[in-house]
Amino acid sequence: MKHSDKVNNSAVGLDVGTSRICLAQRVGEDYQYETQLNAFVTIPFSKITEGVLKKEKVPHTVTGAEIVVHGNESDRFADLLNVETRRTMDKGVLNPAESDSLGMLRKIVESLLDPVKHRQKLCFTVPAAPLGAEDNLTYHEATLRQILTEMGYEVKSINEGLAVVYSELEDSNYTGIGISCGGGLCNVCVSYLSVPVLSFSIPKAGDYIDSSAATITGERANRVRIVKEDSFHFNGFFADKLQQVLGVYYDEMIQSLVQGMKQAFANARNLPKSNRPLPIVLSGGTAMPEGFRDRFEKALGEAELPFATADIRVAADPLHASAKGALVAALADL
Amino acid sequence: MPLIPRSIIERKAGQIVDPVARLRYLQRTAGIFHPRLQPAIPRRRRRLPALGLALLLTCLLIPGYKASNKAAHAKAVFSFGSLTRVSAASADVFPDVWLVDKSKDFETYSNGLRIDDRSTAPNQKRLFYPVYQRGAIDPQQPEWRSEPAGIVYHTTESDQARFTVDQNARLKRIGKAVIGVVQQNHSYHFLIDRFGQIFRIVPEEDVANHAGYSVWSDNSVIFVNLNSSFLGVAFETETHQGDLPSATPAQIHAARILTEMLRNKYHIPESNCVTHAQVSVNPDNMLVGYHTDWAANFPFFEIGLSDNYNVPPPSIYAFGFDYDPVFIHATGVRLWQGFALAEDQMQSQAAARGVSVSRYRVTLQKKYKEILAALKAAAIANDNQNET
Repeated sequence: MKHSDKVNNSAVGLDVGTSRICLAQRVGEDYQYETQLNAFVTIPFSKITEGVLKKEKVPHTVTGAEIVVHGNESDRFADLLNVETRRTMDKGVLNPAESDSLGMLRKIVESLLDPVKHRQKLCFTVPAAPLGAEDNLTYHEATLRQILTEMGYEVKSINEGLAVVYSELEDSNYTGIGISCGGGLCNVCVSYLSVPVLSFSIPKAGDYIDSSAATITGERANRVRIVKEDSFHFNGFFADKLQQVLGVYYDEMIQSLVQGMKQAFANARNLPKSNRPLPIVLSGGTAMPEGFRDRFEKALGEAELPFATADIRVAADPLHASAKGALVAALADL
Repeated sequence: MPLIPRSIIERKAGQIVDPVARLRYLQRTAGIFHPRLQPAIPRRRRRLPALGLALLLTCLLIPGYKASNKAAHAKAVFSFGSLTRVSAASADVFPDVWLVDKSKDFETYSNGLRIDDRSTAPNQKRLFYPVYQRGAIDPQQPEWRSEPAGIVYHTTESDQARFTVDQNARLKRIGKAVIGVVQQNHSYHFLIDRFGQIFRIVPEEDVANHAGYSVWSDNSVIFVNLNSSFLGVAFETETHQGDLPSATPAQIHAARILTEMLRNKYHIPESNCVTHAQVSVNPDNMLVGYHTDWAANFPFFEIGLSDNYNVPPPSIYAFGFDYDPVFIHATGVRLWQGFALAEDQMQSQAAARGVSVSRYRVTLQKKYKEILAALKAAAIANDNQNET
């Protein structure tokens, strides 16, 4: 469903993740989402293939002797052709190693959004600076801003972790910690009464798990991701080596996240000192496996963070929480 | 009007059913008036009258009184001796300094620092100030901080007597007069007189009117208008035209132990210890160096700091400020290196975006003006709130 098909077109939220791009819009009191895989794959051109793609309404572009399939279907084609999908983004920002990242990102965004004639509010997510490293977000954000502005939108950005807070922590007046565990990064934001007071990212997330497990098992990372999303869960016993390896790297990722939080909180000098425990919300595709919350809570307890936590929960709709938060921010800006 | 207690805002927000409306309400109240809502603030700060907060916000926008005179000393060059560009050995290791004794009039610290509190003049409280994420600057969504993040070093540009024993009475008389002026105007947090005596003028938890329009950045965030975010330390000295600002050995020693204490107390990185000339900007003509104190030859090494003159000024690469020949003449080669790096950085950023440097500079300047506008809007909103 494209944006123009929606009933309420006052504002839109766009979660631009390393792995997926998700559009959110409010329809009456409900939220509706559409997601595209932020990836593409090239296949040799033939008229038959092109005809099939057109017939099946698979988003694609013909470039000389190649057909570029982008978005959701790229996954399936890559699996069929036994190749890796190519990614427009890496670790939360435009992929510097991918020459066609900008063009493909534009195509994928255009497959979700139609250009608008009257300036319409759009809020898109951006990652926070990596913990302990120089940030390199300017180009990424400016590029997205340009793409979306050229499509006619009135654009603002929101930190991805804050978007999770806006999506999930209404009950605590948007006070708490939002964590988005995505493909390229885990984004963390501490919000106090809707104001972001600390945000950072950790460069170990879903892609790290996939590539590490792929190296060990000899599988393609794309294949690992599909298996991970389809069947992986904690608290189980696996004869399957891939599942075992996934468990190991998942644990490592969780430890990195928790240690990163510990470090960030230790170095932060300006956090509000609240007597109330802070709620934590986990979101993103990487936080979805069954048992993830429990494993995270256990690691958090062992780390002895300098604040008390209240409810730790996974977002009601982890894949769409950031997009919903971006939409809430856009609507609040009206 | 009394401040709105956090509990009232939370209760009122809780009554708003629609999540978007609730967020909008909180952003309006907790966003603009965020500082007053923080539970971390000691009770006496939370009781700060609204007028004080208005003044706090206003002083973020208006260059405060400054004893230094920019125009008269713009051509200053410097002969502070041959200072080698070296990094201090104690790079970002925070010196272990503790308070040994405190009386009504003095504080004594373990490194020999002695602060005279008899001239202290409280000012508006430092509550929270906005900072902007490097690389993802959003004028509408700053982060908020409350602790001092750095130190800006100044010169008082006051009259000077010859530093000899026969001038002792005059030196003391001038020093006393300078204290009176900076105290009245809340010009700095600390003043170091020519004998190396350190006077606390404005308490560190208050704002001093020392930096005016100014920009600096650390590795993660950009600070705009440093009155609230940085502490001001002034040397009683003057930059003679064609000559140099000079500091006595006693002043250098005092600055060193004062800096040690402040860095330890607030965990201030060396990279955030800078001179006023490095941070000062003029939004009217979009040029750096509105104030030129310590534009050259600040004794970073002697004070135990890394030489920050070669750090690219964020005013140039993040907000597109330019510089003029007068300021270049005043700075000398050390600060120039930072300018060149900032220009290189800006050219690379422009090239990465496929736009000309001039066009990119306009984009950056627009971002800066948006931030200033946001700060002004916050101040106006606060004024309106106070009036109602």
